[in-house]
Amino acid sequence: MEIISRLLRKIFRLLTLLVAVCIISFMLIQLSPIDPIAAYIGADIMLVGEEQRQKITEYWGLDKSGFEQFVHWAGALVQGDLGTSMIYRMPVMDVIGDKFFASLALMLVAWVLSGIIGFGLGLWAAYKQDSWVDKIIKWYCYTLAATPTFWMGLLLLMVFAVWLNWLPVGMSVPAGVLAENVSVLDRLKHLILPAMTLSIIGVAPIALHTRQKLIDVLSSEYVLFAKARGESGFALIRRHGLRNVAIPAVTLQFASLSELFGGAVLAEQVFSYPGLGQASVEAGLRGDVPLLLGIVIFSTLFVFSGNLLADIFYQLLDPRIRRGRLTE
Amino acid sequence: MKQTQLMKNFNRKSWRSRGSWNKRQTTLLAIIFAVVFLVALLGTALTMPDDGLRSQLELRNMSPTIEHPFGTDWLGRDMFTRTLKGLLLSFGVGMIASISSVVIATTLGIMAGTLGRYVDAVVAWLIDLFLSVPHLLGLILISFVLGGGFKGVVIGVALTHWPSLARVIRAEILQLRSSEYIQVSRQLGKSSWWIATKHMLPHIVPQVLVGFLLMFPHAILHEASITFLGLGLSASEPAIGIILSESMRYLSAGMWWLAIFPGLSLLLMVRMFDVIGENLRLMLEPQHAHK
Amino acid sequence: MMRKAKVVLVALLVVIVGFSIIGCGKASQSDSSSTTATNQLANSNQNNTESVNNKDELVLAVFADTDDGFDPTTGWGRYGSPLFQSTLLAFDNSLNITNDLATKYSVSEDGLTWTVEIRKDVSFSDGVTLTANDVVYTFEKAKNSGSVVDLEVLANVKAISDYTVEFQLHSKNSTFINTLITTGIVPQHVHNAGYAERPIGSGPFVFVQWDKGQQLIVNKNPNYYGKQPNFQKVTFLYLDQSTALAAAKAGQVDIAAIPAAFANQKVENMRIEALQTVDNRGIMFPYVPSGQQTADGIAVGNDVTADIAIRKAINVAVDRELLVEGVLEGYGTPAYTMVDGLPWWNPDTVIYDADMQQAKAILLEGGWQEGAADGIMRKGSLKAEFKLLYPASDPTRQALALAVTDLIRPLGINIIPEGKSWDELYKLMHANAVLFGWGAHTPLEMYNLYSSEMQGSGSYNAGFYSNPQVDKYMEQALAATTANEAYAYWQKAQWDGTTGLSAKGDAPWAWLVNLEHVYLVNEQLDIGEQRIQPHGHGWPITANIAEWQWR
Repeated sequence: MEIISRLLRKIFRLLTLLVAVCIISFMLIQLSPIDPIAAYIGADIMLVGEEQRQKITEYWGLDKSGFEQFVHWAGALVQGDLGTSMIYRMPVMDVIGDKFFASLALMLVAWVLSGIIGFGLGLWAAYKQDSWVDKIIKWYCYTLAATPTFWMGLLLLMVFAVWLNWLPVGMSVPAGVLAENVSVLDRLKHLILPAMTLSIIGVAPIALHTRQKLIDVLSSEYVLFAKARGESGFALIRRHGLRNVAIPAVTLQFASLSELFGGAVLAEQVFSYPGLGQASVEAGLRGDVPLLLGIVIFSTLFVFSGNLLADIFYQLLDPRIRRGRLTE
Repeated sequence: MKQTQLMKNFNRKSWRSRGSWNKRQTTLLAIIFAVVFLVALLGTALTMPDDGLRSQLELRNMSPTIEHPFGTDWLGRDMFTRTLKGLLLSFGVGMIASISSVVIATTLGIMAGTLGRYVDAVVAWLIDLFLSVPHLLGLILISFVLGGGFKGVVIGVALTHWPSLARVIRAEILQLRSSEYIQVSRQLGKSSWWIATKHMLPHIVPQVLVGFLLMFPHAILHEASITFLGLGLSASEPAIGIILSESMRYLSAGMWWLAIFPGLSLLLMVRMFDVIGENLRLMLEPQHAHK
Repeated sequence: MMRKAKVVLVALLVVIVGFSIIGCGKASQSDSSSTTATNQLANSNQNNTESVNNKDELVLAVFADTDDGFDPTTGWGRYGSPLFQSTLLAFDNSLNITNDLATKYSVSEDGLTWTVEIRKDVSFSDGVTLTANDVVYTFEKAKNSGSVVDLEVLANVKAISDYTVEFQLHSKNSTFINTLITTGIVPQHVHNAGYAERPIGSGPFVFVQWDKGQQLIVNKNPNYYGKQPNFQKVTFLYLDQSTALAAAKAGQVDIAAIPAAFANQKVENMRIEALQTVDNRGIMFPYVPSGQQTADGIAVGNDVTADIAIRKAINVAVDRELLVEGVLEGYGTPAYTMVDGLPWWNPDTVIYDADMQQAKAILLEGGWQEGAADGIMRKGSLKAEFKLLYPASDPTRQALALAVTDLIRPLGINIIPEGKSWDELYKLMHANAVLFGWGAHTPLEMYNLYSSEMQGSGSYNAGFYSNPQVDKYMEQALAATTANEAYAYWQKAQWDGTTGLSAKGDAPWAWLVNLEHVYLVNEQLDIGEQRIQPHGHGWPITANIAEWQWR
């Protein structure tokens, strides 16, 4: 009974989230000065006359009021139809479907790498606080935080693809090769540079927060006590610190799942990697409401699951939290 | 000969034992140094003449010289002037955006941890809500709606970046909440507000500081992307974010000075904040000094 | 417990990553399509990943992907060769109009009826013959597609016989010919919702595979009725500009489009080709004084730019050569009109510029006075100051705006450059100067910008310019029944000796430069004689792709 009521409450939360997110996103687009027609026509704005613009407006149903448009969209959604994207002139479901798996592969790899490396660096820096290692790691992280993703991508591109010629220059598949001849190894090769770009930059927050946490833990009373008892080194950290220290890292890791849809934009741009990031920004800039809302829905689902997993992890890591009871 | 050796040893020893360089004083010195440096930087930027910002096509694309210590860009503008003025401009954006973001995150994080399950549920829901919209997208939309400019960028960045930090803080609070001395305070009847400010706040200050330091350059870079869309500050005014972003185009063309100097300057500024922050903390929390 | 959780987590992640990589493969396969007819040909190229080494193949990185596919009825192919489809008429390399699918065309006396006869020997790549019905279908579909293809002027299109088509227009319009040049013909029997992703046509190339946002692979069409391309397979890569340069350096492409700023790079085995264009940049001035409003309440007019002395002075003072040298690194030409070099250009419109003294004289004659403390000229209470807006995302326009600002300052005119988003530009363009840019292979553009009929209509003639004599010439041009007759009138509208829409006349614009499109081209590749390129990089270079060959 308890489980069912908990499940129901979670589902309720998810639904309220979805509704709220959709309404807010829709309202934001409506309130902004973006003119989807102008955005759609783009560079040809000079060649398209007033009557044709009128036609385009009617064709996409944009001459109706905001409320009407939303209701129309919501109605279709309930029947399982996410609508048609103005930019791609294809069903939204197809657009997202096409790009989703590519995004997923890229983001998972980057996510795991930045998590592991970030955590490791954070631990190391705190353990050797104020030493050269610590200083270097801190400088490294702050430098990364101030580095535009685009740069990092270009840099890696120039080093690995141009200078060393080890890796391909872009895309998710080799140039000029037919789909049936593309191997898994090819896909992996094309994944490496964008994943590296994202991992390297994603390391900074996790490393720094972890470092801070471990420093705090190391200066606590019980660690002092443990040191007095003769414990030292990594064993000390492992036995007393690791679980606690993992908490901010875990939090950030799962919070960064939302980056899956937004953060990869610049990396996708540099490497022409076909992910959802660019599509989401384009949808926003060009007022492509169905696509925007479709992506936002997916994003919500992901984030929700991510946070749920994080909460479960907290309980695993620190039993006191379980006792203190989290939400629901 | 032996005499000098002895004297050297003596001096070295007594220098230390004279105690004039204890930890407390080094900390203070570090803070003063960093603050002075920052003020000098920003002060110079404020009082510098505008001439270097004019385009002079004949002087374009020059690598660093005495007259132009940071070189010139593709329009012949002096990079040194641009960088300093840019830091000043970005400083404002970065500070306000990060501080706002951090304040929101901290407040909500603490509220979530201390005011009971219902409040926690609401805050967690809000966090999920804000995290659900891809943050670049959210930033663009919010800036658009607010009409862009300084206001649009600052509010946009603040509103889209508080969630992760809020979650970190919330998790910290949840941990703290169940520790013994908090329980004791509760038993003794202290109010939530008292516990929050006296016990919890000091503990999360380090994480908050880290959050702020990470947010500052992040906000600046985001301001650049918004400006490229025509929404942020005017694209012709130098802001470090813009300078960095524009310079990436010229990296491939080999004009390294356009990127390195502004990048290092930004880094330096962030680092100065770090020095201030860390040392300030040390002063306020002596327990970290027992190494 | 911690350890177990870790293990489970890692295992889960490995499974998910593996699944997504394979899933990525499946998804990619399902969205890239191949035609059955050319499968055999395609399979013979299985082992090549670097087609630069293979003389039969070409790899290009010249433009951005077309988001919505390759359907001419929604706008594909209007900028160059549509690759897969053929058009009724075409341009040759000197921009003369020649027949493609058409064997001849004629226009009625009243200019309303256009009759086109087409070849009888053309078939689509699936073997079906192309007839007049396909042409009718294409134009009807395009008209109603709610896309960038503007066929408002077309009233009716029908097939008179199997190989003759008749177009009825609502009004005389000699620029309709442009539609016949840019609209690829689609096969009625297979055109449906999925057509854009796997097009079939009668053009020189056959569609093989499209990896969205990444690449397009095509093979030559063995049944093409015209000159066969010299390459078996062409791959188009959609790369960001900096990435395209990197790809060129890594030896992975035969042609890469690069911005002028990169043109000084030395890349092994590649040479720089700078193509002349009519891709122009210029300043649009609001022509009327302030005070009016559009129907939507947007402010119209600017008192400073409405003064002809200001506009002419700026035109005369700007040093266009310096702009080309300094901003475009020499890759460009000065622009005096929006149609420099095209068949309908009037060469008399060229003026002497970079003349500060002359410019000052013009201002003083116009009633402006110097002497103010801030160095800005005054006319009564009016300050010689106005905003110059440019799209913030465009670095070249920004550079031009800033350079012009600093060049004009000594004159006593204070220009204030501001970067804006396109949406804001639309709202501000009637009351402020804007740095615009375009250039097309049709004089219709000139009409849209300068005709009083087009004042404030959408974003046409944003400055509210009008000159009755100019209007008259342009109407006559539209009503002309031959191309040459039309050209003569277009030229008169620019400058007829007394008045005109160019800098010598009313100077409603200050045109600055024509960009050159810069490409890195494989040393061994001959890309034939390139026509003057329009606004919109990339596709136009492929217009004569059938002539390309290895040296």
